Amino acid sequence: MNTSQGTAGGAPAPPDERTVLGEVAQMIAGVLDDDTGTDTDASADIGADIGMDTTLGDDLEMESIDLVALSARLEEWYGPRVNLAEYLAGLELDEIIELTVGRIVAHVRSALAEGS
Amino acid sequence: MARVMANGVDHHVQRLPAAGAGPHGADPPAVVLVHGAFIDSLASYYFTLGPEFAAAGCDAVMYDLRGHGRSARPERGYTVADFTADLAALLDALRLPGPVHLVGNSFGGTVALDFAVHHPERVAGLTVVESGPATREWAATMAAALRTATETLPEEEALNWFVEQYGTVSSTRRGDPRHDAHVRRLGRAAARLIRTTGIAREIHTGRALTDAQLAALRCPVLLINGQDGLVGAESDRLSALLPDCRVAVVPGHKHSVLVEAADQVSELALHFIAAAPRGTPSPDSAEGDPK
Repeated sequence: MNTSQGTAGGAPAPPDERTVLGEVAQMIAGVLDDDTGTDTDASADIGADIGMDTTLGDDLEMESIDLVALSARLEEWYGPRVNLAEYLAGLELDEIIELTVGRIVAHVRSALAEGS
Repeated sequence: MARVMANGVDHHVQRLPAAGAGPHGADPPAVVLVHGAFIDSLASYYFTLGPEFAAAGCDAVMYDLRGHGRSARPERGYTVADFTADLAALLDALRLPGPVHLVGNSFGGTVALDFAVHHPERVAGLTVVESGPATREWAATMAAALRTATETLPEEEALNWFVEQYGTVSSTRRGDPRHDAHVRRLGRAAARLIRTTGIAREIHTGRALTDAQLAALRCPVLLINGQDGLVGAESDRLSALLPDCRVAVVPGHKHSVLVEAADQVSELALHFIAAAPRGTPSPDSAEGDPK
């Protein structure tokens, strides 16, 4: 199940892009699925349509509060090294609005590489 | 994500604990961040002040107000007094008896001021961004704005009205299509809230704060405003009333100064919190005597 989380004592190679993309896409689908309050009906198979160029805002219609939920899921899955809140706090608002899935994948991979 | 039941409402809470608290082992100060109404959520802090506060040694506590973000959306209970009661119950549930630092943006500042007046023993200091207290004048202004949104406009235009308000009055980024789309998404959440709850009928109908109540507020208060924001005149009046109050103005910014000038707001607030005389000392304050 958890293919990319570091194992205690070992120094595993950081996971490849495709693996992380698959995991992040699943988390995004979960966030959208959880958000019963929105008018959009996000189905579970949305994860399959998510690619590196998919934008969180324009393409997935994610609101900023959905990003908070995603951030919590990322930390839960990968551990505290992956800190989306801190990462996004360092970006300009325009960059956050235009955020792509690929940018999150790259952040996850670099954070995991730094920590290993 | 953490769910906390407070005052009968299921609240969404996010905490960013202090990173690298002081070596002397003192508890880091708790800073509770209260967001604005309608188009806002804790996300405005989670990607701005929250991480900066945590990095500076504060325990940043963020929550979605009832009806907002991912907190429950009850049909009733949207007066300022309800939000104050929610906050008191939330602090109890989180075992934060206080005194805590409160940061409130826009309507969140209105809640923070009301909370401080009614629970003075629980507040070490107040940072109020682009906001003012729930006075009678505030209620009249709010009522007029909401009448425009909910009575004189059809529902779909009410949504656009929020976008227009945000775009023209608040933001310095109007005209950027991607930004406008972002604001439209926020406006949709606001329209949903107004459609499904009594917030627009209730929010301005609670108890009003008097000048005497405000003049009795002992804790230090920092008012942070955008130079071209919405509350300049009210801030002057409020700062004259409050016994311990400073005003900081961020040049070139409007009502959404928190999100659009996050670094400056964060620096002002952290400096103020470190210098506040009461509450648990910040790790920074152990190193010297911040002025």
